[in-house]
Amino acid sequence: MDLPHGKKDPRVESAISHWAPRFVINGVPLTDFQEVTAGIERWEDWCSAWSARAALHEALGNKSHAEGCNLSAGEHWTRAAVCYHFGKFLFVNDMTQLKQAHMKAVECRNKALPYLRPPGERVAIPYEGKHLYGNLRKPAGDARPPVVVMCMGLDSAKEEMDDYENRFLARGLATLAFDGPGQGEAEYDFPICPEYEKPVGAVIDYIESRGDLDVDRVGVWGVSLGGYYAPRAAAFEKRIKACVALSGAFERNGTFEGRPVINVEAFRVRSHSKDLDELANVAVRMTLRGHAKKITCPIYIVAGTKDRLTSPDEARKLAAEVSGPCVLSVIEGGNHVVNNLWYRYRDQTADWLATQLGQPRR
Amino acid sequence: MTGPGKDKRVEIAIHNWAPRFVSAGVPLADFEEVTAQIERWDDWCAVWSRRAALHESLGREALSQGYNRSAAGHLTRAALCYHFGKFMFVHAPDEMRRAHEKVVECRSLALPHLDPPGERVEIPYEGRTLYGILRKPNRPHTPGKAPVIVMCVGLDSTKEELDVYENIFLDRGMATLAFDGPGQGEAEYDLPIRGDYEAPVHAVNDYVGTRGDLDADRIGIMGVSLGGYYSARAAAFDKRIKACLSFSGPYSWVEIFDGRNELSREAFRVRSHSRTMEEAREKARTLTLEGAAMRIRCPIYIVAGELDRLTPPANAERIAAEVAGPKVLEIVKGGNHVVNNRRYSYQTQSADWMAAQLAVPKS
Repeated sequence: MDLPHGKKDPRVESAISHWAPRFVINGVPLTDFQEVTAGIERWEDWCSAWSARAALHEALGNKSHAEGCNLSAGEHWTRAAVCYHFGKFLFVNDMTQLKQAHMKAVECRNKALPYLRPPGERVAIPYEGKHLYGNLRKPAGDARPPVVVMCMGLDSAKEEMDDYENRFLARGLATLAFDGPGQGEAEYDFPICPEYEKPVGAVIDYIESRGDLDVDRVGVWGVSLGGYYAPRAAAFEKRIKACVALSGAFERNGTFEGRPVINVEAFRVRSHSKDLDELANVAVRMTLRGHAKKITCPIYIVAGTKDRLTSPDEARKLAAEVSGPCVLSVIEGGNHVVNNLWYRYRDQTADWLATQLGQPRR
Repeated sequence: MTGPGKDKRVEIAIHNWAPRFVSAGVPLADFEEVTAQIERWDDWCAVWSRRAALHESLGREALSQGYNRSAAGHLTRAALCYHFGKFMFVHAPDEMRRAHEKVVECRSLALPHLDPPGERVEIPYEGRTLYGILRKPNRPHTPGKAPVIVMCVGLDSTKEELDVYENIFLDRGMATLAFDGPGQGEAEYDLPIRGDYEAPVHAVNDYVGTRGDLDADRIGIMGVSLGGYYSARAAAFDKRIKACLSFSGPYSWVEIFDGRNELSREAFRVRSHSRTMEEAREKARTLTLEGAAMRIRCPIYIVAGELDRLTPPANAERIAAEVAGPKVLEIVKGGNHVVNNRRYSYQTQSADWMAAQLAVPKS
């Protein structure tokens, strides 16, 4: 695309205007966000520019590690993973580059896992003859903690979850963030699966197979499209004892008008659809209509009044339909996932979930 | 973010401080929204205080529900927002002081619920009292008394701004003691800025020696901005200090004083208790490492930002050139004042270095 000097590609503008607060609260240093996005004019340069910045953090991690300063190494590598991840997150226009950055994101977070506090562990979850991959972290000093199954969205992946994980862990909950169908490491082999109770069922089977997690105290949490996946799973999977849904849709239709082009394209590619018609057939399967009433466990629903991607009415519909106890928090001025006003829900939902899963208040 | 109608002093604050506010813990959207609302400098403190009050109410709500850990986060954020309302607002002392009292109140409320918790301490100093925040690591790597980092704030920072720095030391097995010295925070009303900052640090080190839970033989010192001068100055004269971190500190304050923006100069005038700028400039002469830097024999780690307009990196080079002991000089490419835009390039690194100097096992 030819652009006059100083004029940015609308896809770049779209990414910048939607995502600054998300990048920063999820671990990208503010100046990195400003400098990297200022240096990008064409969307085609997005992934390589972020990867270059990520490589800097990766090198700092390597240096700390070589010096035996593992705690610092873990922090640098986590930052590297987040930068590689955001290079990759919507870059479905160039799958070769996307995959390169993605493998680096996974590699860096994997290197960090043993040095996190508390440490993390990469786990392989059997699913339809293959595996889904997850990061499991357990709070210190609990032989059988309750666990939060963390569902990603359209463009997030388990490597983006450090901040959320830490808030749950600090409150005595283990975290298991996993890449489901159409997400992260599973996006190449498995298309997006609107019937998300299937992969979540596999994850809970896996939890049951371990002796160090309490399968009687499983919560499910989901962000963005994952805010649809989590209640969808809670409707069908009764081993789930409580649910947190952040900015999820109640139901999708087959039209994509008004949505950012790169988001629609990511949806098309990750649902393995050839075209928008095929994609529409996947989208309409995403629904809680008729299912939400089967949600009997307690649920905490979050939405932002200024969300341009998922209207807060979706949250209201869900709240109106569930059969169990419900907290509906529609946050004034909140954007998508309320990443701009994260202090309005991140700790609050973690406290609520810990209480639902029987942990003492702390 | 910055409109044509804005007061120059508002522009100065926004222009210089976004990365500092955010890396210290102010939510990005708070910084953007609050500064977008402010046209006149006179409104700065009130608008920040309103945002702070929101965090304070979230904190008090969490406290009332027994969610103490969340409360500590909210109240620490409240303290930060009140603090940044107050930090340079010396032209309206009553308003500044009201915000400041909220800073201290909110952070004090948070202290017992932090992880690890904090404790407000009183440090005897020349017949008066300095106030500090002491935190000790949860899991000391070695049994017995904890090594401790004495933390010196600068011209406009206070002990309530240091949560992020504290956590980095604490994670690595060191206790932290952030305090308001003369001209700073709770001491700024009664005690003017003094160039011979070794005197208050001497009092802090004496206090460390009175405690059974801190190791007075393993005291490190760190300082930020003007505190980067204070920490080096103290290391030159108080030999109980075993290692020093100096971040963006001036070698000679008077030499950069006139190049500072008007907010900075005015804050120094007021906090040095000077009636006029001329008097302030005279007092600025007493803040110097001339004849002192050469007496620094403990290891020192000096950080400067290549692009620092407030304290140019030549200051760091000069300190490094004169010290008598081992030194690390880190001039960060693209770094601004205190390298707040690239904290990842020195923050954990210098903390790891400090741990090694104080014989704390690697984390």
